Formats: sequence, structure tokens, C-alpha cells
Amino acid sequence: MINTQPMTPVIEAKPEEIYDIELEHSLLEANAKIARANRALLDEHGITAVDIMGAIGSGKTTLIGRLVERLKIKCGIAVFNGDATVAADTELIASQGVPVVQIATVNGCHLDANLVGKALKSVKLTSLDLILIENIGNLICPAEFPLGSRSRMVVVSVTEGPWMVKKHPHMFLGADLVVINKTDLAEVMSVRVEQLVNDVHTLKPDLRVIPASCKTGAGLDEIAALLAPEKAAANA
Amino acid sequence: MHELSIAATVVEDVLGFAEARGIGKVVCVRLAIGELTCVQTEQLKFCYESVTRETALADSQLDIESVPACVKCANCNYEGPPKYWMDSLSEAPVPTLQCPECGKATEAARGHECAIKSIQYAA
Repeated sequence: MINTQPMTPVIEAKPEEIYDIELEHSLLEANAKIARANRALLDEHGITAVDIMGAIGSGKTTLIGRLVERLKIKCGIAVFNGDATVAADTELIASQGVPVVQIATVNGCHLDANLVGKALKSVKLTSLDLILIENIGNLICPAEFPLGSRSRMVVVSVTEGPWMVKKHPHMFLGADLVVINKTDLAEVMSVRVEQLVNDVHTLKPDLRVIPASCKTGAGLDEIAALLAPEKAAANA
Repeated sequence: MHELSIAATVVEDVLGFAEARGIGKVVCVRLAIGELTCVQTEQLKFCYESVTRETALADSQLDIESVPACVKCANCNYEGPPKYWMDSLSEAPVPTLQCPECGKATEAARGHECAIKSIQYAA
């Protein structure tokens, strides 16, 4: 095929000297391959990993803290904390006495499977049943980069306004669980939680949505129950 | 700006192919980007220009072909374009995974592509 878009200013070869190679080479494959390796390693140890995504300020860290409180007595739990630079969140969760690994992406806008793979090497996998992976605060970029987790959870809060679901459809299309956070503030924010739930279901009808509040505790037991790994179901 | 990491991957991979096959000058790189990815074409082109600077791909053209989404419904066996979400607030229709026929959840059969389709080179 000859290039039909004469946008490039200077191409020296004449058309008869130009050749095409069909490649069909996936650009996301390198990450996907490492993600599969991570998953295999996790499965081998009977560990469930959950990738937690959401905007900056949606309450991911606080929610993880509440879930750790509920789950650490039931299972071996570790938290991977993706953050561009700051370690404050890591310390907050580490104070609960569970292993925490900070994954600093420096300027990266999403975690990738390679970084998570490195983090997996730094924890004692034999003592773990569940790893909560907090992704970078961003509702767009992480969507294309699976990490090897068993499920992906999106946290959206009412303080982000009424259009968050609609503005970031991709994140929800790839999610397995959605938490609508800070529901105690819905009235103050004039945001209808049911509307957000409906928006999620417009995008993906069977997606599980749990309204929650880290302040009142609403919804937290339900989320914890969903994430708690069934030890009996460990992979063969 | 995940477009930057994608652009960097394009450059690394194309340069790798070119070297492996003894290709001198890459004229054009063609990508296929699915409708269900959140890869912005304009940003990707901008990033490509930036990362190819001072490489063997510096004057190459980047063509991006958009791959329309296709969904499959396990409930009613529908297979085709997705249902779009469009209302007065929408800037552009948003593809959904709701079945256009029965409203149940569908799986995307196409639309997640993010690939180098072909490269064009001068011998």
C-alpha cells in the first residue's frame, strides 16, 4: 500500500522504492505478558490481588486502611502503595502492622506490571492471602495497564461531583467492582448516589456497585467480605 | 499521559524491527487503536514527534487507524456495534457494554487494540 496522506514534508524514496511490512504487533503486550507472569506467581501462592484505582482524593488510601482493619485478623494481607513521590500514605497503612511496599512511579501516571512484579519480589508471598494494590490517583491512564490482579476496583467519591462516571467511562468498562465513596457527604455535595449507580450500570449493567462511607462505616463490611479470599478456593 | 509510554514503546519496537530486518529508513508507522482504549490520537502523535526527535524515526509519519468497537452478548447473541450513551451533556457518544438489543452486559470482542499494524520503509 502506498501512503496516501502527504503530510510528511520530505520523503526521499520514490513510491516504487517504498515497502510495507505487516506487523500486527501489540504495544500493550509487553506489559500484558508481565501481568500474566505476576498472576501466575500469585495463583501459585493462592494470593488474590486487587488493583484499586480512582482519582486523586477519592479516598483510596483511607478505604484501604479501613479494609485492612477488617481483614488483617482474617488473612495475611499486604498493601502495595503506588504513589508518584510521597511516602505519607505508606506510613499511614504500615502503622497497622501489615507489610506495605511503596511503589514510586516518579513521574509515571499509572502502575505497570513490571513495577508490581518487582514489589512482589520484596514481600514474603508464603505468608500472604491478599494484596491490595493502590494505583496512582488517575481515572484514565491505569485502564490500559493490567497488573496481574484478579480484580480491579474503582473508587469514585461524591465529592468529585455528579459526572465522574460519565467522564471516565473506560475505567468503569474494565472494572469488576465500583465503590461510591464518601456517601455521608452526598447531600452537602448535591450529588445523588443512585444517579452514580445508574451511570455505572448504563456503562456496564452487571457491575457490582457498593455505596460506602469511611466515616460512618457504611458499605465497608460488604466490600471487605467481597475481597476476603476464600482460602479453600486456592489454585490447584 | 500514558500516550508517552505508548509512543516510547512504538519507537523502541519499530527501531528494533528495523534493525533486525536491516531496514534503512522507516517512512511511516501505522497503528491500530481501538475505540475502547483511552488512547488520545492527537496526544499520541505529539508524543511520537517528541520521542522520535534525534532518532532514526525523526522524519517518519505516524498514521493512526481507529478500530471500531464490537460487542458480543451472551444473553441474546447480539454481535455488532456497542450501544452508545449520549445525552444533552455529552460531547461525544460514549461506547458502553450494555447490549443494544436486550440491555444485558456484553463482552467487547473488538475495540481494545493498541498495535503497530505495519511499517512502511524505503529500501
